[in-house]
Amino acid sequence: MTKTINITLKVWRQFGPDVKGRLETYQAKNISTDMSFLEMLDVINEQLTLEGKDPIAFDHDCREGICGMCGSVVNGRAHGPEKGTTLCQLHMRHFSDGDTVVIEPWRSRAFKIIKDLVVDRSAFDQIIQAGGYVSVNAGGAPDGNAVPISQENAEKAMDAAACIGCGACVASCPNASAMLFVSAKVSQLALLPQGKPEAAERALAMVRKMDDLGFGNCTNETECEADCPKEISIVNIARLNREYLKAGFLSSVI
Amino acid sequence: MNWLKNTLGSSVGKKLMMALTGLSFCGFLTVHFAGNLTLFRGKDAFNGYAGHLHSLGSLITFAEFILLSLAAVHVLTGLTLFYQNLSARPKRYMVNKSAGGRTVGSQTMPYTGLLLLAFIIFHIQNFHLADKTHQTIYDIVSNSFAQPEYVIVYILAMIIAAIHVSHGFWSAFQTLGANHPKYMPLIKSVGVVFSLLVGAGFGFIPIYISLIA
Amino acid sequence: MQLDAKIPGGPLTEKWDRHRFELKLVNPANKRKFNIIVVGTGLAGGSAAATLAELGYDVKNFCIQDSPRRAHSIAAQGGINAAKNYPNDGDSIWRLFYDTVKGGDFRAREANVCRLAQLSTNIIDHCVAQGVPFARDYGGLLANRSFGGAQVSRTFYARGQTGQQLLLGAYSSLSRQIAAGKVTMFPRREMLELVVINGQARGIVVRNLVTGEMERHEAHAVVLCTGGYGNVFFLSTNAMASNVTASYRAYKKGAFFANPCFTQIHPTCIPVHGDYQSKLTLMSESLRNDGRVWVPKTPGDKRPPHQIPEAERDYYLENKYPSFGNLVPRDVASRNAKEQCDMGKGVGETALAVYLDFEDAIKRDGRDVIEKKYGNLFQMYEKITADDPYQTPMMIYPAVHYTMGGLWVDYNLMSTIPGLFVLGEANFSDHGANRLGASALMQGLADGYFVVPYTIGGYISGTTPEDVTTDHPAFKEASQQAEIRTRKLLSVKGKRTVDDFHKELGHIMWEYCGMARNNEGLDKAKTMIRSLREEFWENVLVPGGGKAFNQSLERAGRVADFLEFGELMLTDALARQESCGGHFNEAYQTEENEARRDDENFCHVAAWEWAGDDKAPVFHKEPLVFEHVKLTQRSYK
Repeated sequence: MTKTINITLKVWRQFGPDVKGRLETYQAKNISTDMSFLEMLDVINEQLTLEGKDPIAFDHDCREGICGMCGSVVNGRAHGPEKGTTLCQLHMRHFSDGDTVVIEPWRSRAFKIIKDLVVDRSAFDQIIQAGGYVSVNAGGAPDGNAVPISQENAEKAMDAAACIGCGACVASCPNASAMLFVSAKVSQLALLPQGKPEAAERALAMVRKMDDLGFGNCTNETECEADCPKEISIVNIARLNREYLKAGFLSSVI
Repeated sequence: MNWLKNTLGSSVGKKLMMALTGLSFCGFLTVHFAGNLTLFRGKDAFNGYAGHLHSLGSLITFAEFILLSLAAVHVLTGLTLFYQNLSARPKRYMVNKSAGGRTVGSQTMPYTGLLLLAFIIFHIQNFHLADKTHQTIYDIVSNSFAQPEYVIVYILAMIIAAIHVSHGFWSAFQTLGANHPKYMPLIKSVGVVFSLLVGAGFGFIPIYISLIA
Repeated sequence: MQLDAKIPGGPLTEKWDRHRFELKLVNPANKRKFNIIVVGTGLAGGSAAATLAELGYDVKNFCIQDSPRRAHSIAAQGGINAAKNYPNDGDSIWRLFYDTVKGGDFRAREANVCRLAQLSTNIIDHCVAQGVPFARDYGGLLANRSFGGAQVSRTFYARGQTGQQLLLGAYSSLSRQIAAGKVTMFPRREMLELVVINGQARGIVVRNLVTGEMERHEAHAVVLCTGGYGNVFFLSTNAMASNVTASYRAYKKGAFFANPCFTQIHPTCIPVHGDYQSKLTLMSESLRNDGRVWVPKTPGDKRPPHQIPEAERDYYLENKYPSFGNLVPRDVASRNAKEQCDMGKGVGETALAVYLDFEDAIKRDGRDVIEKKYGNLFQMYEKITADDPYQTPMMIYPAVHYTMGGLWVDYNLMSTIPGLFVLGEANFSDHGANRLGASALMQGLADGYFVVPYTIGGYISGTTPEDVTTDHPAFKEASQQAEIRTRKLLSVKGKRTVDDFHKELGHIMWEYCGMARNNEGLDKAKTMIRSLREEFWENVLVPGGGKAFNQSLERAGRVADFLEFGELMLTDALARQESCGGHFNEAYQTEENEARRDDENFCHVAAWEWAGDDKAPVFHKEPLVFEHVKLTQRSYK
């Protein structure tokens, strides 16, 4: 049932990458519980605009949980309290009247804050550029059915490929590690015959790039899995470890 | 050997070293515990066991060297990871809340690790490096545990060890890539049982000795 | 100006082969000397940028989001069509071609559609090679499902995330070229001007969305892959940042805009529930494979769905269209939903919804099978509505989803400005007046992987562009224009927010230029839009400055363009005095309320040329010639 609630927001405001930020308090009044979290922020921003203040900057685009653009830490949880949910899919019915909600940006050395809740996640793109692809040019592919792929492997690859690259794994990891992200891509391609020829180079290059960019180390805290909006499993991290060790010790790739 | 440096130097490589050394210590703990069981068979049995160990001569020195090296790798790599992980998030969150992934063991690994290091230094000084010309090892053990503060320190240390192992055991397998739907539940159960054995088994010894002493 | 589509001669199925042979080639060693700008990184842009770089061109690729992986193609759910005939159910290239032309209500070019059908099979092969995890059967071969407007199973899919997987495939190829230094990526940039020198597209001006700086980039050709304009309706299934600005600025520089009134209203979306709502969410058409659409037979029946007995339910699609049933094309399904609601048979709080019921499918196949096919869609539905579709039927209502109209392009995908190519949803080709499900992905990728890489070579080798730098007066002027407009938006300092204007524009467009249109309403809407536009420039409130990260300013620029573009849509809708596909003028319908075309007078593409501010755009006509498909009243009965 639709109802309205009043909540207190404490939002991280930071004008630029290198300036000091702080939490600002706002009152969100008469918020319909059918609203999404971002629609609630829209309402606040409309108010701020009309009051002549600077609206809260936050990234968002598809608002259906697939583009991976949105994401903030809400009361200490990446994408908020609901399991398997992006911030844009989080609805206000999961909050109660009188709640205080603290909203912070992803925090990691590798993700610089651009403004308020907006962070620079280009590090993820750089990791993919290091090897998250199959080197095929358009035009030369054999028939799609030339190589059968067991349904089980196709499904597992899809489980990993469901990653939306939002960065919640880094945000929720106590060590700001990007292992879940990297492992999802490495796993997807390691599970498919098309990814096999470059598996060794890929695993080594992507892990090295991840390290160079200043992400932390995985200590198997499994917070990433618990907060991942696409519920990517840490089984993928084990697979990445396997692929990495195989490449490091058994392949001829240096 | 550049490849080895490359492979072990990365985040996954460092974790591999932690996993391998950690699992080695699990093995050592098992042997250590088996040896300690001779305590329950009385003074002579225990002194006999110690004497037998020492009669191995250079073999035991070699084993000690290996253990020390493993410890050095485990501690130094652990400290590196700890430092890198802290600096990977220079600005911390104002509100922290677990999504349900962390355990007491996983959250406290560096701290339980450092406490264990302190305890091990103390333990080695206390037992291993103690003057054994005028007293047998059994005397040292029973004199120590006659003092309640020693008993408390040892019990606390064993609880800490249990917490450390509770995460370390399954985590080592995960790091080695051994996460399989059929075997992971087993590995996790063995980890729990093992950490309980470490805690309760080693922890019972000071109590037992203090009671009979 | 006579529009020349440059359709090659010869038999239909040989045209593309023949054309590829006739196109001049660029020497491989010379390709690196040519810069190509690709704007957008969706299926069309991402695939084009990657493929052009693979061929050796120097590519600069721009996107509005923080990463090329976030383009809105990612949200496409259901699948991608290809005439593989793997299920052995009678599909063929010819049938895909025929279905697409018919589905588009005979308002697309035969030659383009035939090429699309031919290339469809290559797309699947290439995507598999990239590591796209398509769904597979137990034997390990690719699986297919059915989609609206076809009686064969030809849709390849990756759960309900096909767009995501195909986009990530293109993104991975793009990433490979970025790593190789062949593509320079410029994320968080918005194209604000096209630069035309000596009649050729030679560059763009973009605003760096982080710093607010205007940046100039020159090239030998510009490829626009900037998507559709569905957000003119404010509420649509498009992403929040989807906009018409790049296309519209190109239009103002001389590119013709074709069939802007052709918009697709998708039948299965989650209904609107409040005025704070920022967007609508699509529920994939693939759900109509197993879901049954119904409303209560009695208008105003407010009982919960489970209390309405079978005999009192109206499965109106199955009853009205026995051969296609729930799988009629989108325009037909949408109009029928509206018709039922107009009769008072709508369900839910707003009575603007119909049921999509899975009870029978769950009984037949078991919950597991349904979960495997649609699990993520059901989950998405539950998150938004707090209703469990396994227990209670979904409520759905049509919503703006796709725009078939776009910049006019010839067979080479080149616009009326030489050197400006337009791909994907941003162009008008291939889908006519209505797009069939799972065809957008096919078109975007065909354009990017397999069409433009050839045709751009033909253009470049056939022209000798002079050397220009970004200091050329045309660049200065374009960048000044962009600056001035930005400053103007900031200087109004009025009392209404940008979103407020956008919502009002959306209401006008939905009311008068939505699922059903009439001349009176279209005229009225024109007046309303004009006064809204005037008010906008007097009363809009854009906070912050221009030389900074300013999301309000970004939106203001887009809404300003929508306010002009909306009028162009109305003009086009008024000019097309017939009904066809997504364009339904109430004055032109059959006795059974189907769209009634007027092939005698309107079997053409309407292409509009900008004539200046406050001047009516100039109408151009590209007649459509059908040699292989017989024009008939579409029937899905």
